[in-house]
Amino acid sequence: MTELVRSEVRKLMTTQVWFWLLVGALALTALGVVGTVLADGSADNPGPGLVTAEGQRNLFAQSGAASVFVVVLAIIGITAEYRHLTVTPTYLATPRRSRVVLAKLVTYVLVGLVYSVLCALLLVAMAKPWLAAKGIPLSLTENRIPLVLLATAVSVAIYGIVGVGVGALVRNQVAAVVLTLSFLFVVEPLVAAIPWVRDHVHKFLPGGAAAALAQSTQPNATLLEPWQGGLLLAGYGVAFAVLAAMTTIRRDVT
Amino acid sequence: MDESGPTETGRIVVSLLSKQFGPVRAVDDLSFTVEPGSVTGFLGPNGAGKTTTLRVLLGLVAPTSGTATIGGRRYADIPHPTREVGAVLESSSFHPARTGRNHLRAYCSAAGIPDRRADEVLDLVGLTPAARRKVRGYSLGMRQRLGLAFALLGDPRVLILDEPANGLDPEGIKWLRGFMRAYAASGRTVLFSSHLLDEVEQIAERVVILSRGRLVREGTLAELGEGQEPAVVVLTPRPDTLAAELATADGARVERTGPEALRVLGLPARVVGHAAFTAGVELHELRTERSDLEQIYFQLTGDGGSEGGARGEGGGER
Repeated sequence: MTELVRSEVRKLMTTQVWFWLLVGALALTALGVVGTVLADGSADNPGPGLVTAEGQRNLFAQSGAASVFVVVLAIIGITAEYRHLTVTPTYLATPRRSRVVLAKLVTYVLVGLVYSVLCALLLVAMAKPWLAAKGIPLSLTENRIPLVLLATAVSVAIYGIVGVGVGALVRNQVAAVVLTLSFLFVVEPLVAAIPWVRDHVHKFLPGGAAAALAQSTQPNATLLEPWQGGLLLAGYGVAFAVLAAMTTIRRDVT
Repeated sequence: MDESGPTETGRIVVSLLSKQFGPVRAVDDLSFTVEPGSVTGFLGPNGAGKTTTLRVLLGLVAPTSGTATIGGRRYADIPHPTREVGAVLESSSFHPARTGRNHLRAYCSAAGIPDRRADEVLDLVGLTPAARRKVRGYSLGMRQRLGLAFALLGDPRVLILDEPANGLDPEGIKWLRGFMRAYAASGRTVLFSSHLLDEVEQIAERVVILSRGRLVREGTLAELGEGQEPAVVVLTPRPDTLAAELATADGARVERTGPEALRVLGLPARVVGHAAFTAGVELHELRTERSDLEQIYFQLTGDGGSEGGARGEGGGER
């Protein structure tokens, strides 16, 4: 299995997609920090202030921005195999396809962890001096912030699994990416904005579950308990992993 | 279960294999054997089921019924398949943004083969100068060579190539022929498919001919030519008169092949010429046609050259 994961990591690292999506993840994290800090204390900001524990937890969940890029990276990685027919040499080298699927899942979980760690490092490097300059005391060990960082890393990794599942199911690269981005940037925000659905549906979607796990506070939105969010998100991970296996193992490669 | 003795090693056995794709029966009760030590051509018109058969053999497509084994085992049951079997199925199964060398190294990891083998096989197929270039810039011939390099990673006993000569220039085909012959000469198995009779005639010693998913003939090229009776081709302005005269001869079968042309089976040219003389028919041509493999191919596959002929340029299967 180690060798198979190494093979997948090599496939990933020998094209440039991972680099540009990492740049994107870092940029979006930075943007989140800038937005959160600049909006802090403004009269029309409904969120908790950065002096509060809730506000600081929200700030440190910004590295969750990596999720979008990890899910897209996984989708591109899986669908590229079908698009460029490399699935043929892949299965010739490893005819037991369940092993290929498992290797890909492990690879994109690792990718998710690495991306979120790098984004968290950037976040800390930006937030710590900035808040210090504003005279807001910030400790990385208090206010359950280590837990927030860990929870964010776990949810980013689960988005890697989701990407493998979506890619294996849809197979068409453009369609899979467009579908996923539409869900993350149109469907979820819409659900989070419409009153009744916001209270009854939003918390059950992956975004709501990830927010709950990261102990975020969303104005006007009800979220699950952190452990419930974590379980739900893990459930999504398992479901998409099973989907990836089911759509891959028996299908003819013609 | 493991009965792969020395004789089993490297032998390909396809047994009562069928594959149904929706309403289409791509492979129909197909059985044949490929022995080590020679180059076997898998010949048939486009759409005959060659690619499907090879894909079943390599575990990429599940058969509807029947079995296909290599060395007595299904591909998926071979513990280190890349070290037993090397295969090239598409003319390009590479990520365009990846270099040829990195493509091979990714599969070195997957197959548990040392990385330096990637450079060795690149050298073997003559791709070393392009090894660190992205596949995007490779010509079709270079892609074929990179595909072959992948197949050779595990130094396999069995080599399976689907339409390997597609896109190769005459120089490349000559090189490929030499390569395949040398490979088989070392006691290993080489099976390659082609819809072009020329290629098979040039490269293979044995052929398996397929048409509409069914086996048509299997054997050496020499065996195929045997038992084919020679035909006498006649050009004359009065073919009907001559045909009537020949009809009285014992065992003669006369076929009208053009407004002034006849094809006579079952009689030597001498007898046909005499009949023309007796009937007072003027002859413009009288010759014996050697039993040509092309004709055999068309006869056996029932394909009257509807796809532009088995010889010559021809299109790719994919």
